[in-house]
Amino acid sequence: MTRSPVIETEGLTRRFGDLTAVDDVTFSVQEHSIVGLLGRNGAGKTTVMQLLTGQDFATSGEIRIFGESPVENASVLSRLSFIKESQRYPEDFKPKHVFKAAPWFFEHWNEEFAQELIEEFRLPLNRRIKKLSRGQLSAVGVIVGLAARAPLTFFDEPYLGLDAVARQSFYDHLLADYARHPRTIVLSTHLIDEVSDLLEHVLVIDDGRIIIDQDAESLRGSVTTVAGPRHAVERFVEHREVLASDRLGGLATATLEALTPAERREAADAGLELGGVSLQQLIVRRTRAHASEFGAES
Amino acid sequence: MTDLAISTPAVRQRGSEWQRIWNVVRLHFVNIGTTIAVPSMIMGLIFLANLAIWAIIRASLAPGDRTNFSEGMQWSGSTFYIFVYMLVVAVQAISATFPFALGLSTTRRDYYLGTAASFILLSAGYAVALTLLSLLEEATNGWGLGGRMFVTNYFSDGPVLERFFVFFAVMLFFFFVGSIFASVWMRWRAYGVIVLGVLLAALLLGAMLLIGVTGSWGAVGDWLVSNRALGVAWWSLLPTALSAVAGFFLLRRVTPRN
Amino acid sequence: MDEDRPIFVQIAEQIENDILSGALEEESQVPSTNEFAAFHRINPATAGKGVNLLVDAGVLYKRRGIGMFVAAGARERIASERRARFADEFVTPLVAEARKLGIGDAQLITLIRDHTTKASAAQPLAQTSATKRTHTQEKSK
Repeated sequence: MTRSPVIETEGLTRRFGDLTAVDDVTFSVQEHSIVGLLGRNGAGKTTVMQLLTGQDFATSGEIRIFGESPVENASVLSRLSFIKESQRYPEDFKPKHVFKAAPWFFEHWNEEFAQELIEEFRLPLNRRIKKLSRGQLSAVGVIVGLAARAPLTFFDEPYLGLDAVARQSFYDHLLADYARHPRTIVLSTHLIDEVSDLLEHVLVIDDGRIIIDQDAESLRGSVTTVAGPRHAVERFVEHREVLASDRLGGLATATLEALTPAERREAADAGLELGGVSLQQLIVRRTRAHASEFGAES
Repeated sequence: MTDLAISTPAVRQRGSEWQRIWNVVRLHFVNIGTTIAVPSMIMGLIFLANLAIWAIIRASLAPGDRTNFSEGMQWSGSTFYIFVYMLVVAVQAISATFPFALGLSTTRRDYYLGTAASFILLSAGYAVALTLLSLLEEATNGWGLGGRMFVTNYFSDGPVLERFFVFFAVMLFFFFVGSIFASVWMRWRAYGVIVLGVLLAALLLGAMLLIGVTGSWGAVGDWLVSNRALGVAWWSLLPTALSAVAGFFLLRRVTPRN
Repeated sequence: MDEDRPIFVQIAEQIENDILSGALEEESQVPSTNEFAAFHRINPATAGKGVNLLVDAGVLYKRRGIGMFVAAGARERIASERRARFADEFVTPLVAEARKLGIGDAQLITLIRDHTTKASAAQPLAQTSATKRTHTQEKSK
């Protein structure tokens, strides 16, 4: 199955004075996939999404959404929705005003679905926006983002203040609706463990650069941990690249790039235990490794 | 919940550019708090305060002096506050709905055109209301108190259509000057607004200075008199249009901030 | 889902387990990819990959426009494949662990005999696959 790219960037850069928030970023996102845009706070996730949705202007580089530049391009923008944690609503609005206006702007808006979600998130429709709790405010965005059914949907940390139950409900609806109405979803979050199984592709951004651009499955299998007596671990990792290591008394663990079956047998024979690494741990380790590389340079 | 169900639109955005612009207009009127309710309330309060003052003054005057009082009132500037307040309304409306509209995937262009259309509609609506109130004021002989608020000498004492047009033009002027302030505020925040304020003040003072130095105050007075309010209103469309264009180009590069 | 192995492999294994246990009968329809995805809360593409693994292995087959079905003989095929791997996956680590703990060979055999008697007393033979399933899960932790 070949899919056409919905998002393409080339050398995308955004500077704010001396700060380079997005640094020469090139990637593409395929149609009909759920993509995770992951990274630490301040890594540049929101800026990337603001650039992709035409809300911010690139310093240099190119963006093509559905093959065209998104900047002031109604035919592109009408096909995307961008739900961000920091979205501002008119202060004297109530949620009912938001849900009255949103359908005018989204061609694929589904009112029934919106109503279902409003009930599920128990959103008070007649309370002023500024009187809503953080979680309720997030629910407004989540409902708009899901019910809009835009062919390209961006969620930027959409669930701040939502409890675990509400977040799970968001994931379940996202998955079910995505399955029924395939579209392209870019999900930015720092709660990587919660979303890792939902993702088909992972983009990791650190210091404004894309450091991982890989499908989720192969990324998950890309590292292994070995654990056992310290001397055995040290001997095993001697000629291998260690992403991270840890010691506890006479015991040690080390995170390595994926091992071949032969290497796995070798490790087992050496009395070492092999284990996987969660996507979150993996990214934490990769970004740390990346940061230390830069530390050595400067 | 039922009002949501019936709000499902018959027309979707896909269609024309006009539809997209119209959607922005509807967005401005989905909640009329900022643009209609609050200004009307302020106008109502000023009116009530005026009524009270008129009643008090009237009660304290001898019947013979009442005619003089009524004539003196014809220069009242109470409605002026309403006009200036439209500048505030424009700033509030734009700063509240711009980030939201962009969150609903609107282009800045469609947003600005829809907003401008909304301002024109609002100006027309307010002009109709003010014209009607001025007629009512005349018919009731100053609300039965000999007061004057909506009918003022020079400004709004002409024929009905003329009154409407003068009200309309002044409203437009303040809305679109407001759009400049709004765009500058959205783009450079307080710093930009201060610079803009200083710039406008300097422009105004410079013009006054120029008029003073060249001894042209008399000529300005003659111009105002000979053109009458109607002519001045026509002329005001020029700075209004310039403000509208400036507001557009300033807003085109605004990024919604957090 | 555990982190050791790819999710789609685990999905395939679970479907196999359900076929072995009889929860999914031969020639019966299996849930759709989207249903698997929703149930396990995973990306539909990943679920699809797991299902396709079984289609390629001849365990499942597609009927156009209707859905996915368990192939005839699937149960026996899975069982024989698992039997082939049984010694490697279960007996080898068992013996290694016993050696480590100083459990003698004779003692180990007695232990196994005791457990098989207990297990068949507790439940009919047809459900031994379910027992095996819990073993698989324990092992993967």
